[in-house]
Formats: sequence, C-alpha cells, structure tokens
Amino acid sequence: MAELKTPLLDQLTTGPWPSFVADMKRLVDRKPTVADVLAQLELSYEEKKGHWKHGGIVGVMGYGGGVIGRYSDMPEKFPNVAEFHTMRINQPSGWFYTTKALRDLMKIWDKYGSGLTNMHGSTGDIILLGTVTDNLQPAFDEFSDLGWDLGGSGSDLRTPSCCVGPARCECACIDTLDLCYDLTQEFQDELHRPMWPYKFKIKISGCANDCVASIARADFAIIGTWRDDLKIDQEAVREYVNSGFDIQGVVIDKCPTKCLTWTGSELVLDGSNCVRCMHCINKMPKALRPGDDKGATILVGGKATILQSAFLGWVIVPFMKLEKPYDELKDLLRNIWEWWDEHGKVRERIGELIYRKGMRVFLKDLGMDPLPQMVFRPRANPYFFWWPEEVNQG
Amino acid sequence: MSEDLRARVLAYLEKVDKVKSKDIAAALGEKKSDVDKVVKELAKEGKVEFLYIGTSYVKLVK
Ligand code: HEM
Ligand code: HEM
Ligand code: SF4
Ligand code: SF4
Repeated sequence: MAELKTPLLDQLTTGPWPSFVADMKRLVDRKPTVADVLAQLELSYEEKKGHWKHGGIVGVMGYGGGVIGRYSDMPEKFPNVAEFHTMRINQPSGWFYTTKALRDLMKIWDKYGSGLTNMHGSTGDIILLGTVTDNLQPAFDEFSDLGWDLGGSGSDLRTPSCCVGPARCECACIDTLDLCYDLTQEFQDELHRPMWPYKFKIKISGCANDCVASIARADFAIIGTWRDDLKIDQEAVREYVNSGFDIQGVVIDKCPTKCLTWTGSELVLDGSNCVRCMHCINKMPKALRPGDDKGATILVGGKATILQSAFLGWVIVPFMKLEKPYDELKDLLRNIWEWWDEHGKVRERIGELIYRKGMRVFLKDLGMDPLPQMVFRPRANPYFFWWPEEVNQG
Repeated sequence: MSEDLRARVLAYLEKVDKVKSKDIAAALGEKKSDVDKVVKELAKEGKVEFLYIGTSYVKLVK
C-alpha cells in the first residue's frame, strides 16, 4: 500500500480536542479499510466532493432493516472500501452494559468489520461502521449467539430508545427502561421489516426534562409526568432559602405559568396552573418532587427537516397511565401506523402527514377528541378548526 | 384469527408474484392490521416470505 498522506485531515488533529483522524490513524496498521476511508476522505476534502454511494440491498436472513449499504464510487482506487456497510445493533434500554458485553461485541466487530464504531448513533443504536457484504451474515450470527439483535433502518420502526429513567434518576415518573424493552419485543416485526411510508421513531423520557430529546426527534414521544400536585417539603424549601438560595429570582419568577408564590416562610403552589415543566424541581431537587399520580404525555410528529421544516411533537394524549402490559399505548401506536400507512406518501413522516391533512382529520380518523393541551396557547391560538357541521351557528 | 381470512389471503397470493400487505388488505376489503396478523402467522409457518425492495413485499414460498 502506498504511504498514507492526509495533510488536510491532519489539520483536524491540531486543535485542543480529540480528533477522529488521530483515532482512526491508530487503526491503520491493523485495518487497511481504515486507511482507505482516510485516503478517500482526504480526496473528498481536496475535491470538495463526496465519494460514497448509498447501496443496493444488503442484509441478513429474515431482516429488511439493520444493515445500511454503502459503497465507494472509486473502488479501483480504494479497493478496501469498495464495500463499507454499517450494522445497527439494538442497544439495551438506557445504554447499560457490562464491560464484558462490550468487549465481546467488539471482539466480533474486530474480526468481521473495520473496527470503527459510533457509540451511540442518533437513533440510539450501537453503530458499527464498515464491513463487506460477505461478512454480514457471519457477524450477525455471532452477535445473535450472544443475544444481540439488529436495530431498525429504512422505512420501519427504528430502535426505540429511552433515558436512564428509574435506574439512576429520581425525576423518573415512568419505568422508561421496562417500557422501551417491552415495546422493542412487542414490535419486532415492525422493527425488522420496512413496510411503511418512512421511518418511525419512539423515544421515551421519564420526565419533562426529556433527556433523549424525544419531543424534537421522535415521531412518537412518551414523556413521563404526573396528574396531581407536585410535592413540597416546606422544611427543605426553608433550608434552601436560609442558605442563601434566591428563590424569587431562580424559581418563582421563572415558573412559566407563575403558579408559585413565596410568602417568606412557605412555598405556595396553584396546582391547577402548573404545567409540570420540571423547572422548580430541577432547581430545588431536595425540596420538590413530582406528584404521586404518575403517567405520561404522548406527543406525535417530531422530526428533522426533510419534506417539511423541523417539527416538534404535538400533544395528542395529555395524560396516560402507563402500566404493564401497556395495551392502551400499543393500540394507539397500531392505529396511528394504520392511518399513516393508508394515507402517507412515500418518505412522508407522520408529522408531515398530519400537517398536510390537518389535525382535525387525524383526530377524527383515530376517534380521538380535541383537547386544550394540544394547543400551544389554549386561550389565544385558534389552532383547531371545527368541522362545519359541529359549529353551533345559532 | 379467522380461517376464512387466512384462506383468502393465500388464494390472493396465488394470483400475484409479490404484493404489499396494504394492497392485499385493499383488494380483500379487510383491515390492514388483520391482514398483517395473518401474514405474520403464515411467515412463521414458512408459507409466505418477505421480500425487501425499498419496502416489504409478501410472496408465497414456492
Ligand atoms: C451524500 C452522502 C450522504 C447522504 C446524503 C446521507 C444521508 C443520510 C440520511 C438522510 C440518513 C438518515 C437516514 C434515516 O435515518 O432514515 C443517513 C444515515 C446514516 N448514514 Fe448517511 N448519507 C451520506 C453518506 C454516508 C456515508 C458516506 C456513510 C458511511 C460511510 C453514511 C452512513 C450513515 C449511517 C451509519 C447512518 C445512520 C446513522 C444513525 O442513524 O445513527 N452516510 N445518511
Ligand atoms: C471532518 C469530518 C467530520 C465531521 C466534522 C463530522 C461531524 C459529525 C457531526 C457533527 C455529527 C452529528 C453528531 C450528532 O449530532 O450526534 C456526525 C455524525 C456521524 N458521523 Fe461524523 N464527522 C466527520 C467525519 C466522519 C467520518 C470520517 C465518519 C465515518 C467514517 C463519520 C461517521 C459519522 C456517523 C456514523 C455519524 C452518525 C452519528 C449518529 O448516528 O449520531 N463522521 N458527524
Ligand atoms: S428525562 Fe427525566 S427521568 Fe429521564 S434521565 Fe432525564 S431527568 Fe431523569
Ligand atoms: S413544574 Fe413548572 S409550571 Fe409547575 S410549578 Fe414548577 S416551575 Fe411552575
């Protein structure tokens, strides 16, 4: 192999931060593939032009998702990356591993792949970058012998993902880990078989802090919340204030619905106006807690720009109790998928379809009622358009 | 799941090379979710297989 010269890429190693170029160069002696990735990327920098092609169909037996085909458009020049496919491995709920599990996984990847990984992909999965078509099946067989499965890719259910939830976090209002695992098991077919207009993502956060950014990134966002009043330990509040905490500036004035008052000795909550945003709890975690009557808010339609601009999810269920076996949630998912598959155009996400057809059509077809929580500013925003026959004209 | 729907799905698959589950449902005038269930059962029994060409198609195992 000719000596690898990458003057443009090398500039990326001169800054104060770790560089993928330096990391990849450590692999070059063992993995000719990685040398060609770097050489091809250097060429891309020179020519200001990408040299990867999205591939034809590659995969493993029984799966239509989970493997992403990539080829170099200059295979003669860069033979080691003529094929450079990516495997998506379904991550455990909340990304909890033992180091042994990671080592075993990496041993297999070192044997069959480039050794490059992306921990974790934007979908949540363990992304293993770069292998050849012939290695896909044997690699997959070894992964599955250890109990790993592929995640979603293409027009299917993408790997559901969740925050660490109750394993680590006192804010969690639902068992995100169990729910994520349960949905992953329930919807195996939807995960492994591309069969919809486009991708569909489920992300689960245990509270409104939304650590997995489900509202912006998931077609179906499940965000933990509570229905009764949040809990206040007045003694602990006084301790915060006595130790110099600016309760007025940091908590009271920042409550979005101005539903808290500080009397000088007591924190008073106007529970009917609290929107459960988590702000006050985040600022005084020792004194405030979510309420007891816990469940989740369901939002639909979040996504990045593709056909339409970026969307945040819309609330479609303000509060749902979430207890095993989660039947209400699963039925809702199935109904949404059926409606989307029936009406969606190719590459149209559920949010775009709702945008095109209108929220009232979506709600009517799914047999759901419009609710004030679906509206950004309920008293000011004429967001919902009534069906003409439902309007009292008299 | 109804034996009747199963039989009709199989009969329909005899007539085509490959087809989307959604189109089977449309042709038979049934709910797609019901057809999906039947197709999944048939796939598990090895009677039908899935083909991926951009999207999933179903066909009889010959
Ligand atoms: C012009 C070139 C490219 C374009 C326009 C492009 C576009 C995209 C898009 C739109 C997605 C999201 C797909 C989805 O989730 O449905 C994606 C994902 C991905 N692409 Fe590319 N891509 C390009 C080049 C590449 C190359 C060169 C590689 C690797 C060699 C690559 C690897 C991946 C991987 C691994 C993902 C999945 C990432 C994840 O979900 O975490 N892509 N790409
Ligand atoms: C100067 C070069 C590069 C820059 C500036 C760059 C930058 C980025 C950025 C900003 C993201 C999004 C991260 C996120 O929001 O999570 C990303 C994602 C990604 N990059 Fe790079 N990248 C570079 C080179 C590469 C190379 C050479 C590879 C593979 C060989 C690669 C593979 C990926 C993949 C697979 C993702 C998807 C990550 C995900 O799924 O979240 N990148 N990159
Ligand atoms: S979303 Fe809420 S429950 Fe989940 S990790 Fe973040 S703060 Fe904790
Ligand atoms: S949770 Fe948010 S809306 Fe409710 S009292 Fe605290 S800051 Fe105000």
